[in-house]
Amino acid sequence: MNNIEFTLEKPHVSASPHQRTEVTTARLMTDVCIAMLPALFWGVYHFGMYSLLVTAATVLACVVSEYAFEYFMGKPITVKDMSAVVTGMILALNMPPYIPLWIPMLGGVFAIIVVKQLYGGLGQNFMNPALAARCFLLISFARQMTDFSVESMPWATTVVDGVSGATPLAYIKAGGEVDITSLLVGNIPGTIGEVSVIALLIGAAYLLIRGVITLRIPASYILTVLVFTAFFGGRGLDPYYLLCEICAGGLIFGAFFMATDYVTGPLTPNGQIIYGIIIGILTGLFRLFGGSAEGVSYAIILGNVLCPLIEKYTVPTAFGKGKYQKSKTRSAESKLNNMVVVKTFAITLVSGVLLGGVYVLTKDPIDKANEAALYSAYEELVPGADKYVDMSESEALAAAVENINAELSESGVYGDVTVNNVVTATDGSGNVMGYVVDVTDHEGYGGDIQITVGYMPDGDTGEIKSTGISFLAIAETAGLGMKAEEPQFKDQFTGKPAMAEGDAPLALTVTKSGEAGDTEIDAISGATITSNAVTNAVNAANMAVHAAVSSDASAVFTAASAESSEGGNE
Amino acid sequence: MNSATFKGGTHPFEGKSLSENSEIRFAEFSGDYVFPMSQHIGAPAKPCVNVGDHVLAGQKIGEAQGFISADVISSVSGTVKKVEPRMQVSGQPQMSVVIESDGKFETVSGIGEMNDWQSFSKDDIRKAVKDAGITGMGGAGFPTYVKLMPKDDEAIDYFIANGSECEPYLTSDYRLMMEEGEKIVAGLKICLMLFPNAKGVVAIEDNKPKAIAHMTELCKGEQRIEVRALKTKYPEGGERQLINAVTGRYINSSMLPADVGAIVDNVATIIAIYEAVALSTPLMEKVITITGDAVAEPSNLRVRIGSSYKDALLFVGGLKKEAKKVICGGPMMGQALFDLDVPVTKPSSALCVFEHDEVAEKPTTPCIRCARCVNACPEFLVPPMMVKAATNGDLEGFEALNGMECMECGTCSYVCPARRPLTQIFKQARKMVMNKRRVEAAEKRQREELERIASEAAEAARAAALERLK
Repeated sequence: MNNIEFTLEKPHVSASPHQRTEVTTARLMTDVCIAMLPALFWGVYHFGMYSLLVTAATVLACVVSEYAFEYFMGKPITVKDMSAVVTGMILALNMPPYIPLWIPMLGGVFAIIVVKQLYGGLGQNFMNPALAARCFLLISFARQMTDFSVESMPWATTVVDGVSGATPLAYIKAGGEVDITSLLVGNIPGTIGEVSVIALLIGAAYLLIRGVITLRIPASYILTVLVFTAFFGGRGLDPYYLLCEICAGGLIFGAFFMATDYVTGPLTPNGQIIYGIIIGILTGLFRLFGGSAEGVSYAIILGNVLCPLIEKYTVPTAFGKGKYQKSKTRSAESKLNNMVVVKTFAITLVSGVLLGGVYVLTKDPIDKANEAALYSAYEELVPGADKYVDMSESEALAAAVENINAELSESGVYGDVTVNNVVTATDGSGNVMGYVVDVTDHEGYGGDIQITVGYMPDGDTGEIKSTGISFLAIAETAGLGMKAEEPQFKDQFTGKPAMAEGDAPLALTVTKSGEAGDTEIDAISGATITSNAVTNAVNAANMAVHAAVSSDASAVFTAASAESSEGGNE
Repeated sequence: MNSATFKGGTHPFEGKSLSENSEIRFAEFSGDYVFPMSQHIGAPAKPCVNVGDHVLAGQKIGEAQGFISADVISSVSGTVKKVEPRMQVSGQPQMSVVIESDGKFETVSGIGEMNDWQSFSKDDIRKAVKDAGITGMGGAGFPTYVKLMPKDDEAIDYFIANGSECEPYLTSDYRLMMEEGEKIVAGLKICLMLFPNAKGVVAIEDNKPKAIAHMTELCKGEQRIEVRALKTKYPEGGERQLINAVTGRYINSSMLPADVGAIVDNVATIIAIYEAVALSTPLMEKVITITGDAVAEPSNLRVRIGSSYKDALLFVGGLKKEAKKVICGGPMMGQALFDLDVPVTKPSSALCVFEHDEVAEKPTTPCIRCARCVNACPEFLVPPMMVKAATNGDLEGFEALNGMECMECGTCSYVCPARRPLTQIFKQARKMVMNKRRVEAAEKRQREELERIASEAAEAARAAALERLK
């Protein structure tokens, strides 16, 4: 009995409470990892063992960079809290399955060191490290990050011309239809972890049951995407289409595993709902009106940035304060919840209508502006014409251009180049004044280069000569390839004849000598690829003009040139 | 069972099985009894005996000061040994009357006499409660007779007997309901005599089905009393949460339950009311739970107020293991003790002795903003934002985030996976805010006093001048 004195020699004293939950940060993080396992298993089963290697390498990169950073900065080592593993897994599951290993590993280092540790480590980063790293990789290695190596599309139920190698969402955007079962099971291309909705929902259910996440963010997010798509997807309440939009494009993965990230999401209950709505609207916007079909990552990243603002304005009313004082009844709470739902819905609706309205209002002017830009290019190249007639008006011409494209892609003599259009410029009495050819070369350094080339008969000889080129689309390297737009390069094409001797289209060649001959073009120094692409495009245009002149239109064209030479004599 | 509840809260380990089947035993000790003058919220009582005086059990030894205060009654007969500050559970010394027991426990005459309470007037009842020195026995210690005197008796429509006992490990209220349920029903009937429009509700958490069944049986035939099952969730027994669960109404920190037509008293308090009114017995004893994994024989004891916790622990066989933590009260809101030689007071409920100190064993890690505290806070606060304000010294920001609504229930600290000492930070910040308010109020009083003196002087000078002119 006297042992009390002994045993209480040094009792601990601390402020209440003296009990603590068993749940720790490491347990929560481990639960998130466990919840991602079904998706990972499916990814490995579907895409092969290499996916597992990608995941392992990414996780390793994250954990090692966290350890190394903390070690060298003299901070306590926190890799045991599993947060770096979670970051690594989320990043890996966002990777295309056949990506070279160094890309996700670089992403892992970026995520941990730049996004997480430089901002102060766990709990301090304002962007989801895995997502920020994914966006970083998407911008830096666009080709590899969007290469899903899709050869066949067994999941596609219709065939859409010109759409190959697309993810289901891109395919749907292009007007195709996909098999819903494949979407649910995950028999589709995509990143390692996003494809199987069923596997992801198993993981999500695990997180909900374990109390790791609540439904507020995922539900408001998915519902908003649903409402937005129903309003602006152009297919109304078509359940098949809505289901496709929800199952595809990593929305489920994003909603349950990325938007629910603790550190970068709002704390307040209403804030979480508003956050879900905002990223839902952004996702819808990016998907339906943006350039790419996928928008989940960028939407969540933008939501992360808005989080402190959302929190500031959604501090809940304290128990017994404000609205709770007015109502004496128990239904106060349910009324409140209804209010949140109604407000949420109203916000979605209003912002959706506003955004949609802006789109509708600006769509026409934008189209008109594009058209005007095209016309001004025509006007510049073949001035003074009354009408510019599209090649679709003449069956013969369209057929001729189709033949040329076939020939070009078969022979490959000018690389990967396509003639888009041949426009015939006519005067008031319908006589042909000249041609404008619209060509795209797909082998620019920075992607497609689209140009228009003008042709008119020479005032004296009647020989058909180029009146110059105009760029419609070019995205080459500034200071190098972009010099193509400067007169020094561009003007070389002006006055070059379309035909060579013997009634064949003239083929220009690129020289680096600096002293170009009649059929040569001086390369832009340091940008041979761009120079070649533009020259090849002009050569293809020459072929198209040659075909146009040789066809039945040529007679009119000669007459026009005779007329113009008469005019010249006067 | 459709159990009523509130929004938020958590489920700490209950630990009640240790002592819930141990029947209440009476434990009597010899030696000194210590009676602190402040066992309640409000002004401390003033000692009304002197060193050397002989006192009897049931005799008033401390006189209530002001409206919100309570008398202190001796629980033993003996000689007043000292009137001096003595160490309390809070860790701070407090003015106390120390009585050396003569071991006879002689009572003042009239104690234990049955009264015909059914014929009592409202004033008789209130006077009996006031003279018995009864204060809330659930923990806060609000003087009970003040609670029983709302502005408008007619406006009270709920009188709630709080038997929820949501604090883990505690079983004293459970035992009282099982063993002295009749007194609770009778006490409730006495209270209902004061409030003609009120309905009596015995609120019990649904982890105590036997108590619910027993009390339901006892309340059979009582038109104005019903038993209400509550969901087992901490802090279900917190006054604001309990009122919300039972009535659906809300009160904040600046309101009293009577403002929404409710009065809440702990079941132990209601028994004390019964004994005061019907048996002419002042509050002299308290049922406490001695429990924890280091206690040899976890028990529920009836001890005299003023006894030492040390004696109570020895009575149940002391400790069976080396202990790391001793808590006066339950593990969620109790006070850690560094010395067992402190007295049992009116709001005392338990002594928990644990082999391990969970707080020290689990290290603090960075906040990951998981919002578990936000979801669990029964006051709908946002602890991480409050922590930011408090640790930055931004007391105004802390108040703007409703930090003063915090009732320090410990739920946020309990659920925190990063083991952050949230409640501790809020306790400090709240103290600082209250201090600031006190200082500001004092300055305001001083300023007003100076202004009054100045204007009086001016008035006097003016009067004198007028006098001269005449």
